[in-house]
Amino acid sequence: MSIQLKNFLRFWLIIAVQILLSKLTLRWWSEPSGFPVFVPLIYPLFILLLPFETPVWLALILGAVTGFTMDALMNTGGMHAAACILIAYLRPNVLAALLPRAFEDYPGQSPSVKNLGWPAFLTYAGFLILLHHAVFFSIEMWSFSNMLLLLLKIAASALTTILFVVGYLLLFTRQVATHGLSR
Amino acid sequence: MLNFFRFVRRFFNLILFIALEALCLVLIARTNTIQGNDLLSSSNAITGFLYQRQSALVYYFNLGTVNDSLLRENAHLRNQLAQLRFSVDTLHDSTALRALPGDSSLKLQYARYTYRQARVINNSVALRNNYITLNRGSEEGIRKGMAVISGTGVVGKVVHVSRHFATVLSVLSSLQTVSAQLPDGTTGQVSWLNGDAPTRPDVLYMPDVPGQIPLHRGNIVRTTTYSFFPPEVPVGVVDSVLIVKKTGKRLLYLKPATNFRNLRYVYVVENSYTTEQKALEARNGSELIKPKTRR
Repeated sequence: MSIQLKNFLRFWLIIAVQILLSKLTLRWWSEPSGFPVFVPLIYPLFILLLPFETPVWLALILGAVTGFTMDALMNTGGMHAAACILIAYLRPNVLAALLPRAFEDYPGQSPSVKNLGWPAFLTYAGFLILLHHAVFFSIEMWSFSNMLLLLLKIAASALTTILFVVGYLLLFTRQVATHGLSR
Repeated sequence: MLNFFRFVRRFFNLILFIALEALCLVLIARTNTIQGNDLLSSSNAITGFLYQRQSALVYYFNLGTVNDSLLRENAHLRNQLAQLRFSVDTLHDSTALRALPGDSSLKLQYARYTYRQARVINNSVALRNNYITLNRGSEEGIRKGMAVISGTGVVGKVVHVSRHFATVLSVLSSLQTVSAQLPDGTTGQVSWLNGDAPTRPDVLYMPDVPGQIPLHRGNIVRTTTYSFFPPEVPVGVVDSVLIVKKTGKRLLYLKPATNFRNLRYVYVVENSYTTEQKALEARNGSELIKPKTRR
């Protein structure tokens, strides 16, 4: 399976899961007025898992496409796209800081637990997802007057997203690993 | 140019990033939500501020044109005002005179004034007889002997007219005085000369004011109905009073109502009944000739 096709399929898979999640109303506990309703935003995972060699301009455009797809589905103008383009722009810098070697040493590979290791990958994913959520929810709430609610939403949503990311990694890491080993 | 392309290539990612984020902002602003309304209104505030600056700048360059149009408007309004005054006066007198039946011969004829705006193209205040040149002449209806006033007070009298220009003998001259009245109605003559005292463009004199008249600094001296000026035009403001010991009368120092130093625009006032009045007044004295002796 070529890298392009794999990423294409991953895109639609993540979008489909995201739409399913958006239709559910998740609560950390079932107190109706106690905790804000939130939606985990797992679509940044597509940007996170793009191959190392992806040029920045392509990552930006793919981020915009992902974001605008979400905006079209969730009817949010350009809020998802704004957050998504930001993490697409910052991704190579974060990766360069975490990777032991240069990008050219990982031909055809995507960031994964195999080449980064669990701590580094969770730092990478956690940082960018937290940033994405912070930007998105700030734009969505459009005020810093209720800071606590904003932070609560960001934290709850980002935590849930990271749980889903870990689940995704546990499900699909073997394939990536065999692919990597076969080369 | 090459450097420009190098710059674009070097910062292409950043430029693309900023462009995409801007696109997102535009899309957010276009949605009819809190975010969209806030963004649009703040951008309106910014553009409003910029438009204000721009109009202030353009306004400065248009000041000349604006001034001219305002002046035309002013002359028009003054004409209307003169007409209204005229009709109000006529109405007033006709109702008053209606009490005296069959007395229509007593009906008074009121002066009627026409105002034409003009621009000062030459001016002096330093001479003993100062003249002002206007950019209007006989083609525009300016005639010799018309009064000239500014927006704030009297200026002078038209003395020479060519086709496109007219010269005005300023109040600042030894050749003419202005008939003026104090607020209580006392009339007198305002002149620029006071004996041999040196002339200054900031001082006018009103001699021979009786001592018992109440006077205050800041009282406005206005033209009377006797002069060729329209009535009630300010001549000057009482600045100080000097009591002449010998006669017991007072000499008033007036600050001219018009600033002759930077005079730019004036109105030439035409009194449409001047010729008739002059012709009538020229016959004064003819009644002294004895009538034919009766047979």
